[in-house]
Amino acid sequence: MSDASVAAKGQGASWLILPGIVWMALFMVVPIAMICYVSFWTQTTFNISSTPTLASWKQFFASDTYTGALWTTVRIWLIVLATTFIIGYPTALFVGLFVKSKTLSTVLLVICVIPFWTSFLIRVLAWRPMLGKEGAINIILMKLHIISQPIEVLLFTELSVIIGMSQIYCVFMVGPIAFMLGRIDRNIIEAARDLGAGFGRIFWKIIFPLSLPGVVVGAIFVSVMVLGEFATSGALSGRKVNLLGNIIVTQVGSLKWAMASVTGVILTVVMGLVIAAFLRIVDLKQEL
Amino acid sequence: MESRVLKPILAVYVVAFILFLYGPFFVLTILSFQQGPDGGPQFPITEWSTYWYQQIFGLTPPSRIAPLPVGEALIRSLILAFMTMVTSTVLGVMSAQAFRRKFRGSSFVFYLIVLGMMVPGVLTGLGTSLLANNVFGITRHWYTTAFATHVAYTFPFAFLVMLAILNRFDGSVEEAAWSLGVTPWKTFRKVTFPLIFPGVLSAMLFAFTLSLDEFPRSLFAAGGTEDQTLPLAIYGTFAVEIHPNIFAFGVLTTLFSFALLSVYGILMGMSVRRARKLAMQEEIA
Repeated sequence: MSDASVAAKGQGASWLILPGIVWMALFMVVPIAMICYVSFWTQTTFNISSTPTLASWKQFFASDTYTGALWTTVRIWLIVLATTFIIGYPTALFVGLFVKSKTLSTVLLVICVIPFWTSFLIRVLAWRPMLGKEGAINIILMKLHIISQPIEVLLFTELSVIIGMSQIYCVFMVGPIAFMLGRIDRNIIEAARDLGAGFGRIFWKIIFPLSLPGVVVGAIFVSVMVLGEFATSGALSGRKVNLLGNIIVTQVGSLKWAMASVTGVILTVVMGLVIAAFLRIVDLKQEL
Repeated sequence: MESRVLKPILAVYVVAFILFLYGPFFVLTILSFQQGPDGGPQFPITEWSTYWYQQIFGLTPPSRIAPLPVGEALIRSLILAFMTMVTSTVLGVMSAQAFRRKFRGSSFVFYLIVLGMMVPGVLTGLGTSLLANNVFGITRHWYTTAFATHVAYTFPFAFLVMLAILNRFDGSVEEAAWSLGVTPWKTFRKVTFPLIFPGVLSAMLFAFTLSLDEFPRSLFAAGGTEDQTLPLAIYGTFAVEIHPNIFAFGVLTTLFSFALLSVYGILMGMSVRRARKLAMQEEIA
């Protein structure tokens, strides 16, 4: 009834959607197609010409720096995915399932979101005085006599990149998981308990499977952001950890547009594979 | 039972988690009160002072540490965020409005739009600058190319917010207006828009804050130093030695964000109160 009359009055629907489509096509689809195209261009010292060549692609796979960046990206992505999940899941469990009051769980989620009101780059930078040789963590540990020498591996290493990214992105895990946990029908858990199931069994048989769509959404958020990262790795590793994003930035900085494009295409492919794999685990459309 | 043991453990864990989230910011805030201009960006605090805050506002005598180049960058960022906010909210409302009716290819269009929030900024930024340089031969600026990529990023958020609002929207009020002979545009302005206004506010807030803090897209798609937005200016200080002035600036921007959030909260509260008042009047009538 409502649909029919909306349809009758809404002849404008096609022109309403058109600007959005055009904008996304022009400023997202075409740019990415352009990256693919330029990756086959010929690079001279300061310029590129559209003569097709595979030179940049060969150069990428022949160089340890570039292939190394690919593996570093994959490794850091997997580690950060694991840490954000391990750090985030218990919090989500508490917020989504254990907290009975709706107000308290909202307050807790807001508390988790507040740090996002600080600029991303400042949040990255804030880890430097935390992790440094004379940083807060070392000072506290030394005051407590847990260590006698400052730990130096904390800053300007791969570890500092992982710590920083875990903190910055773990909230993206907490939110979706807590949302899915909050939707679980408590009667199912009660029924299982009445039938004599322990918490471990209830968790693995009921709670975890039902929270899985949230885990997948969270994992997609985290993956997309970590794979495209370059600022955190640059600022916290002292340029020692090079991700694909860092390669793109430095290549553009030295006007090597073709190589930056090759790296961009590889990043796009990795990203596509990762998202496709996650969507295979859970059919989001069915779950949400 | 087990949950009686588990719940306190998890509660303690959540406290630790919140400390982990806030720890760096606490340290940053403490260090922003470091003595200046000789105090470094680390412990111990040689002397508490507000020197670095004064320096940001140009209240200190010149010293060997240059003030942050943030003044003009901040204005550029605010203008850019405003432009992005208006454009992506308009696009978001239009597209979500179109989605109230099933049309052919709607699920394809849905994914096309939502992809915008997924694609990393490095990729859209790089692609857009390649297009600008090699196809169109135009110079990149914060208000042209960077603006376009910002909208391609924030528009999906506005779209999703509006979609969620319009999904719960009761179309019968519009039908009532149409059946009384009100034109569709006037119906939208007088009936639909006031009802979806809280959603519009949220969409605007999303777009504004995302654009204000957007960094990778600007890095590629904005031009040279005369085109620096705020995040680019902050990024510029990464390469050279960092001083507590960047910490003081971080504290100030966070306070600014809170002010923005409060304004949003007040506007939201006002619109909810007005809606409640209207509902009550109707009941009395």
